[in-house]
Amino acid sequence: MKRPGVLLIGAAIAYLAAAWSVTPGFYDGFVPQSPYNFVCPPPIAGANLPPASGHLVIKVIGGVSDANSAFTDDGQVVIGFLPGAFDVTGKTQVTVDIKPVSPCPNPSGLHFSTNTYLISADAPLAKQTDKSKWPTLVMRYSNLAPDPSFVYRSDSPNGPWTNIGASQQAQPYTIDTKTDVLGYFAAGYPSGAISKPNSQANSQILPATIAILIVLVLVGGIPLTIIRRRQARSGAADDEDEDEDD
Amino acid sequence: MLAVLRTRPAVRAAVLAAYILLVEYARTLSEQIPYAVVPALAIGGAALALAAWGWPAERIGLGTTRLATRVVGGLALAVVLLIPTAARVGAMASLPLDVALAAVLVSVGEEIAFRGALFAALEDVGGGGLAVVGTTAIWTAAHALSHPPQFLFAVAAAGLLLGIWRMAFRDLVGPIIAHVIADLAL
Repeated sequence: MKRPGVLLIGAAIAYLAAAWSVTPGFYDGFVPQSPYNFVCPPPIAGANLPPASGHLVIKVIGGVSDANSAFTDDGQVVIGFLPGAFDVTGKTQVTVDIKPVSPCPNPSGLHFSTNTYLISADAPLAKQTDKSKWPTLVMRYSNLAPDPSFVYRSDSPNGPWTNIGASQQAQPYTIDTKTDVLGYFAAGYPSGAISKPNSQANSQILPATIAILIVLVLVGGIPLTIIRRRQARSGAADDEDEDEDD
Repeated sequence: MLAVLRTRPAVRAAVLAAYILLVEYARTLSEQIPYAVVPALAIGGAALALAAWGWPAERIGLGTTRLATRVVGGLALAVVLLIPTAARVGAMASLPLDVALAAVLVSVGEEIAFRGALFAALEDVGGGGLAVVGTTAIWTAAHALSHPPQFLFAVAAAGLLLGIWRMAFRDLVGPIIAHVIADLAL
């Protein structure tokens, strides 16, 4: 058993080194595939890359804007347009831009979990009474930030911010909604909201979990080791007795 | 075909590896479909567990002897898996309940498939060493679609650690416990 024990310790050291070399560490597919790129990273974010912008040219075919999706290069924002989403009077194409906003807006009464993005187009959105035909906005958020409850929209980074709701999550760590107006968008929650499942209050849960696991290992492991040693000793004593009898 | 699988361990291991990879890739791709995450995880986990069909529980490390030691070992393995992230991040992932339950299914299914059935099949071909290396390689390949390349070293190292535990203690209970805790916490 000594050699496997050495192998096990070696593997544990190799794992710690490998997992330490990437942020946040080992995971098995249930956190966002790539770290969120913050404009204003929280202290626990570690290494951070600047968020990407997005640009899309939508063709106008037969006097109707084509269906297409604009997205930032890091995939943190996607907005999908159905055919005829824009009022294209006199236009042959529509240009859509998505840009992260810096500095980060800090509206009173709201806390944003995502970056704020300015989504603009060189043509206005067509008036649609059927909400299902409105553009769909999907915003990805970080597992390091509190889960947002709603998407907010504004005409200015200084507000005022309007809650435009949120649909059921299509994917983990994304929030989506419909909008009939472009402008500034961010996902967040009212500052007074409590019991956010991923709030700063649980920011030390992981170390606490490890501490509990270590206690459980010690509480369970020490008695087990003592019992096994006693069994081994009594087994050895029995063998000696048998040898003497022989 | 079944006779070939029974009598030729190498063919059996290759078929098992191909099946597991196919399930893992199908699951990962299905998770990209809106609202399909939970069904993809649940069905994927069940399909992975099917890999153990026909294997005695003892052969795949699920015997009941020394159960307390296995459980404590699983908790210790979980500590090792969580330390690098906990040291830097602190916050736990907040999975919705349905995703968390499905994640447990996948964790158990992956352990039964990789370090349970595939380990046993590779052990029949070339012993414990080949089983550890082989399951680690297939485990890493299976995560190539779901993880950015820079994370695959950590994935491989986790597979190696759990594989060596499986070989050293002929136990799958510990890796299952560690994998479930790690998936829920990370």
